Amino acid sequence: MINFIQSILYGLTIGGILYIISIGLSLTFGAMGIVNFAHGLIYAVGAYALYTVATLLGANFLMGAIGAIAVSIPLAYLIERFIIRRLYGQSIDYAIIATYAVLLIGADALKWFFGASPLPISDPIGKLWYFGGLQMPAYRVIIIILAGLVFVGLSLFFKKTLVGKIVVAGLQDREAVRSLGIKVEKYFAIVFIIGSALAALGGVLYAPLSTLDPYMGFEIIILCFAVVIVGGMGNLRGTAIAAFTLGLVHSLTAVYLVSSAADAMVYVVMAVVLIFRPIEASA
Amino acid sequence: MLLSVENLDVCYGHAQVLHGVSMHLNEGELVCVVGRNGAGKTSLLRTIGGFMKPAGGTVDFDGQRIDGQPLEQVALSGLKYVYQDKRVFGELTVRENIELAAYPTQVGLDEAIAKVVDIHPKMNKLLDAKAKGLSGGERQILLIGRALIGDPKLLLIDEPTEGLAAIIIGEIINILAAMKSKITMVVVEQNLATVSRLADRVYVMKEGVFSREITDAASIADPSTYEDEL
Amino acid sequence: MFSKIEKSPILTLALVTVLFLLYGYATSLPKITDFIIFCIFVIGFDLLYGHMGQLSFGHMLYLGAGAYGCGMFAYHVYPDPFLSILVGVLLGAALAALLGTVVVKTSAAAFALLNLALNEVGAYLALSPLHEWTGGEDGLSLFFESYGWVDFNDSTFRFYFCLGALLLVILVVTAFVRSPYGILLKSIKENETRVKFLGYNTFVYKYVTFIISGAIVGFAGALTSVNLAYCNTSLIAPTRNVEVIFAALMGGAGTVLGAVVGGTAFMTISNYLASYIVRWEMFLGVALLAFAFWFRKGIWGYARKL
Repeated sequence: MINFIQSILYGLTIGGILYIISIGLSLTFGAMGIVNFAHGLIYAVGAYALYTVATLLGANFLMGAIGAIAVSIPLAYLIERFIIRRLYGQSIDYAIIATYAVLLIGADALKWFFGASPLPISDPIGKLWYFGGLQMPAYRVIIIILAGLVFVGLSLFFKKTLVGKIVVAGLQDREAVRSLGIKVEKYFAIVFIIGSALAALGGVLYAPLSTLDPYMGFEIIILCFAVVIVGGMGNLRGTAIAAFTLGLVHSLTAVYLVSSAADAMVYVVMAVVLIFRPIEASA
Repeated sequence: MLLSVENLDVCYGHAQVLHGVSMHLNEGELVCVVGRNGAGKTSLLRTIGGFMKPAGGTVDFDGQRIDGQPLEQVALSGLKYVYQDKRVFGELTVRENIELAAYPTQVGLDEAIAKVVDIHPKMNKLLDAKAKGLSGGERQILLIGRALIGDPKLLLIDEPTEGLAAIIIGEIINILAAMKSKITMVVVEQNLATVSRLADRVYVMKEGVFSREITDAASIADPSTYEDEL
Repeated sequence: MFSKIEKSPILTLALVTVLFLLYGYATSLPKITDFIIFCIFVIGFDLLYGHMGQLSFGHMLYLGAGAYGCGMFAYHVYPDPFLSILVGVLLGAALAALLGTVVVKTSAAAFALLNLALNEVGAYLALSPLHEWTGGEDGLSLFFESYGWVDFNDSTFRFYFCLGALLLVILVVTAFVRSPYGILLKSIKENETRVKFLGYNTFVYKYVTFIISGAIVGFAGALTSVNLAYCNTSLIAPTRNVEVIFAALMGGAGTVLGAVVGGTAFMTISNYLASYIVRWEMFLGVALLAFAFWFRKGIWGYARKL
């Protein structure tokens, strides 16, 4: 029983990180109809920025996290301005190819600067918390709490702010928002940058649970596509539910089936969802 | 002259749907465009509204050429389009729908709400309801009210009574009739009873061209003089 | 000039033969054999991408099916090269027939990502649960029977055999895309709703094309196993999907000769230039961006107009 609860908690950790990363991907997919592989690059850059600040420069983890987000914003701006914006209304194939190319270029750049071998980052808290017979790294508990905070924060953002409302309206009907005289692409760009900053945060949070390598963006992005597809593109609550569900699928498969099957099981769930609820092509 | 459309050609891919359409509107007029499904009425309205680029011809509005301009800019120049299929923002409340319309025109929210409530007082009670819960007629009224915010000079209204119950159609006609003295309108309409009550002028559209323009009040008031052309 | 060549099957085959012979004897036959096989892969992939209008981001799965089908038959059952290749082709086709029932119902982003997800699952299955048959991480080392001069241990024989295979695939696919069936497929690419409206069951056409593509790509996979005398997880690796996509785009999607040009150009770059290009993936990414944004017709798309 203890074992079961523990694997649930581990699943929620992974789910929380998947949620934080996927939200931006889901919004880009839902609002602009663009499959954005470059999102995986921002995630990897976030993790490497943490490594640079916290390990190479010797500052603390929190400074590293701030550094990661600070680096992700201009990078996201450039990607939005020069890649994503050129892909509006184009065939989705070119979006897939072009953003994948960005991911390739970025991964190679990371390899150039940091080398190809995996880099470790230590758990910034390094404490175990005990709940009855249950033991849980404090760091993982914090991730779950943080994911909850991000969810609440985003919900408020989309409910209460004008930018949020414009994006919610634009997700439903981009043309109708434009016909009111609102440059909806500008607001999508703002949300794109917020989503990218969250992806960088996801990279920071995941780094101590694993190791860094230049190709880390490739692995995570496919898991995140699974989250987006299961949750529904542009569906904010659906993305959260899907992320935590798939996090649990991942963790329970690893504990009770075979650990190496965890990723594959997530893709199986994604395939099943696509079979029963096919997504429509956005032009 | 408020709106002047000259020799408009519009194509979807290789298929040409409008062939050299010209149309002129003076300030204060209400012009109806009638015609069968597929005659090109909506394409005309959407091209004027900035949703589509014409393949040829020009659209001048209020002394400026607007064809080929981005949709947002056309809307801000004082020309608003009211959708055919009652496309409100379902996930937002009525108040938020109005807020979004008010924001680019820099009209205060209270003033904007007053504008909508003014044409339909019952809307006051629906302000906090999600727009997806509104009836068809309420959505139509919200769309018209939303378009009036910021005092545009011209409204393009696509099939305002389509799919609505008779009693609500009556209400919409009354709303449009009351607006007539304040704003210029182009209304695409299939329902000739509506046309005969509202129009100052009628264009009959057939296969992408205007086959006839009806200007005298007596003929407009008697739809039997043009209904067999549809 | 080039468009004339493209229109005549004999000229096309003659040109391809002569150029590959020249390229092969000028450089190295085993290397150019790799190039030829890769061209078959690109043709099979482009049947979906260029001709049907659906980008698969997981066609390494069918390459892997062909490679493992061929390899496992030779390793576990009987090392006859022809039977093994046949098994590879059939496995590629059968897998496409099975998965196609769901994959073909999707389109655009869903099509791309579903294929990728299935590729991931397939790669995992080959690596881990099926490792007793696939050899897991180590793969399988293969040996094939020889019959007189029909000797797959001889690199010259393999070169000619694969060249013949490529010519066969070019002939079959060219005939296919020019048939009424292929023309209908092109119409589906341009406007599926309209074709449906005319009363065609577009699913069936797309489904059959998906199977044919699976078979051709499986054929390429089987030839890879035979040519390398081993098969391992690199032949089903999802990260390598970008190679075939890039080749199709670079050559010019939607033409059979474009696929051959793209396949050859990609292999030339990756085999001969890669050692001079220090940042290979960066180069690949920039080139991909260039083709996706500015040169969408690809090399053959421009050359055929000369």
